[in-house]
Amino acid sequence: MLTGRDGSSVVVDYLCDQITEQDMTVACFYYDFASREAQSPTNMLGSLLKQLLSGLGAMPGEIVQKFQGQKKAIGGRRLQLADIVKMCTAVTSLQRTFICVDALDECVPRHRLEVLHAFGQILRGSPNTRMFMTGRSHIQGVVERGLGGGTISVCIKSRDDDIVTYLRARLRNDTSPEAMDSVLENDIIKSIPEGISEMYVPVGDPEDSYE
Amino acid sequence: MSRAFTDNINSFNNVSNSIIFTAADDESKILAWLSPLEPQVRHHDICEQRVDGIGDWLLETREFRSWYNGNENGGSDHAALFCHGDPGVRKSHIWYEKPVRNKGHDC
Repeated sequence: MLTGRDGSSVVVDYLCDQITEQDMTVACFYYDFASREAQSPTNMLGSLLKQLLSGLGAMPGEIVQKFQGQKKAIGGRRLQLADIVKMCTAVTSLQRTFICVDALDECVPRHRLEVLHAFGQILRGSPNTRMFMTGRSHIQGVVERGLGGGTISVCIKSRDDDIVTYLRARLRNDTSPEAMDSVLENDIIKSIPEGISEMYVPVGDPEDSYE
Repeated sequence: MSRAFTDNINSFNNVSNSIIFTAADDESKILAWLSPLEPQVRHHDICEQRVDGIGDWLLETREFRSWYNGNENGGSDHAALFCHGDPGVRKSHIWYEKPVRNKGHDC
C-alpha cells in the first residue's frame, strides 16, 4: 500500500513537524522521469543548496563573489558541482540537517552515480546531516555503494491496515455514493486486501512512477 | 543582524573557519542562479495527494528511529536511510501493481 512517494511524504511531513520543536532544517528533492534532463546533478544539488540557504538570511561570501564574477562570462556561468558540494557541506554543518530525495530510480543512471558520490561527500564532511532516499529495489546496491557506506535500507511493502485506510479514503470520495451501502463497503474493505495481499497499491499519478 | 543569523555564524565558526556569511542585496537573484528547479512546488502536490495515516508505521521502525536519532545510543551510525520497493511493471494497472519478487532479498 505504501509507495516510495508516500514514504517520502510521510517522512518529510514528520521532519517538518519536528522543525518547530528542534533546531534543524529540511531540504527535499523529487526526481521525475518527465524532468530528467533538467534534473542534472548541478541543478539538483544547487536546488538543495538553495533551500538550505533560503532560511539563513545571509549568503556565504564565496557564493556572492562567484555570482558577481560569473556575470563577466558570456551568458553567465553556473556554480560548479564541486563548489556546490563544498557549500552544502559547510552549510549543513551549521545545524542538524535532513535531506530527503524521492524516486532516485527516476534519475538518469550516470547522474545518479554522480549525485550519490556528492551525497557521500556531504555526509562524511557534515556528521550532523541525515539523508533519506526512496527508489525501486533494483538500485539498492548502487545507492549503498555510491554513498560509500553508512546506509541502512528498508523494504517498503503493502500492509493490510494501509490498504484499508486507503480504500476508506477512496470510498469517501466516491463520485457515485448512491450506489454504495454499508454492506457493499464492508465487502470491498474485506475482500480487496485478501485478494491483493501480495500486491502494492501505488498512490498518486501512476504516470509519474512507472515505465 | 538578526539573533538567528548571529547564532548560525557562531555555531558555524565552531566547525570551520573557511566560510564567511555576508548580507547580500541580490539574494533572490543568487538563489535563482544556484538552480532553476523548485522542488517545493512538487512537494506540495505530493502532500496533497497523500492519504493521512498511510505509512505512519514506517516512522516506528527500528531502522527509521536509528537513522533519525543517530548514534546517540552508542549503536552504529547510519547517516543514510534508503526505502525501496518494487511497484511493478504493468503501467496500465493504475492502483494495483504486483511486486517483482527478488530472490535473496530480505524484504
